[in-house]
Amino acid sequence: MPTAVERKALSEALGRLNENMRTMSQLSVLAIRKAAQALEKGRTRDADEVFTLDQEIYGLKQRVEQSCIELIALYAPVASDLRTITASLEITTDLDRIGRYSKDIAEAAEKLKGMSRESLGKIGNLTRMADMTIQMIETSVNAFTQRQADPVRDIVRTDDAIDALHDEVFTELVEKMTDQSVAPRVGAQYILINRYFERLADHAVNIGLDVIYMITAQRPSKVKRRNGEAHPPPPAPSAAPS
Amino acid sequence: MLGEPLTRNNVNHDGAPSKMVVEGLSAFYGSKKAVSGVSLGFREHTVTAIIGPSGCGKSTLIRCLNRMHEVVPGTRIEGRVLLDGEDIYRQDRVSVRRRIGMVFQKPNPFPTMSVYDNVAAGLRLNGMRKRAVLDAAVTKGLKQAALWDEVKENVYGPGIGLSGGQQQRLCIARALAIEPEVVLMDEPCSALDPIATAKIEDLIFDLQKTYTVVIVTHNMQQAARVAEYTAFMYLGELIEYDRTEKLFEQPTQKLTENYITGRFG
Repeated sequence: MPTAVERKALSEALGRLNENMRTMSQLSVLAIRKAAQALEKGRTRDADEVFTLDQEIYGLKQRVEQSCIELIALYAPVASDLRTITASLEITTDLDRIGRYSKDIAEAAEKLKGMSRESLGKIGNLTRMADMTIQMIETSVNAFTQRQADPVRDIVRTDDAIDALHDEVFTELVEKMTDQSVAPRVGAQYILINRYFERLADHAVNIGLDVIYMITAQRPSKVKRRNGEAHPPPPAPSAAPS
Repeated sequence: MLGEPLTRNNVNHDGAPSKMVVEGLSAFYGSKKAVSGVSLGFREHTVTAIIGPSGCGKSTLIRCLNRMHEVVPGTRIEGRVLLDGEDIYRQDRVSVRRRIGMVFQKPNPFPTMSVYDNVAAGLRLNGMRKRAVLDAAVTKGLKQAALWDEVKENVYGPGIGLSGGQQQRLCIARALAIEPEVVLMDEPCSALDPIATAKIEDLIFDLQKTYTVVIVTHNMQQAARVAEYTAFMYLGELIEYDRTEKLFEQPTQKLTENYITGRFG
């Protein structure tokens, strides 16, 4: 059990970790929003902001990782302290990946600028895909910063809808490239963007499940079956002594 | 899990066999209740740690497990303590203590006795006089307590001349020499430095192959290092009992959470 002095130091260090996580969360949401804007409006200014945000997010990730390692080494945290730290370690990777995929989307948007591109609206559900993904990320990130498990309890189901949408958009893009209403180089970029959004939604799921673990101490399964249902949690290790 | 008996028919709530079972145990000092209605099963060949703040009743509980509690005048207990299904309070006290050994907070070797005589003391008290048997028991006890290599050249030297950590292992050897089935340890490392503590912890970990071990400790990390199961007590009550890693990662009771994270205690 930590002494009163250790508890105070641990609480203060956890407070600093939370601040960094909160900032990182806000920057990640901003990055994906800006990336979507860069895609929609074709503005280089938006893409440049995403590149900067990605660097900021990466820098914060390194700081968060370092402080988590120090907290574990110095205080041997347990229970909710331990879960907060391990969840932060996991979530910081997801936020970093959100920053990276935002950068990928912004880069794709820049490449599309020089092409005779279709507007997003003409690619059927891609705009919807972007909106839903951003909504998922905001839900997960808000659940984390506000320490609420309820908003993310159905996140696996929402991700199923994103996966279905991804498949729809993919099929639509292949058809458009086949009938030559969309140039292959343009279509290929959209297929990549479609994939990026689908992966972004997966990171939103990861964050949501980590939030549930952090708050409730229950670890929901991240693995999904082909039909979209979550696997039951693995059986608890046998308690019987040999 | 809370509020209901953890054990029934000498079996834990999860079906694992228990060496010792405590059923509705309350312990009193005069009118003061120090342990209140504790039910708990101690698995065979397993280390179980009991943690909790000072005054929570953990030492009193462990002293009830080999009838040491009743040594203090004015004390009494309610409930049952079963060893292999038999109530130890319906058996001869001495034979109970022969089967359930105890190691105390401060090393307490007999000050006038040699290392050899300290370890042999229990057997001699039980009437053993054969030198060969005593030699074998002393050697075995000292080896099991990981002390043999350090004292084998001087087993007839004074026990009190050993370092604090060695003295504590000598006391463990003394407890093991009578071949108990259960070893109770009441904060066995609290008076020792980190190196001596590490040796005792190594030893505790190895002892579970042969014995059922119950250890009271203030040190949560020690519980995490040596115990497969941990019980948390507060104000005389058993608040939570679970696998150690589960209790430290996902405690179900707010009191446990607050204690192990240092928010009180």
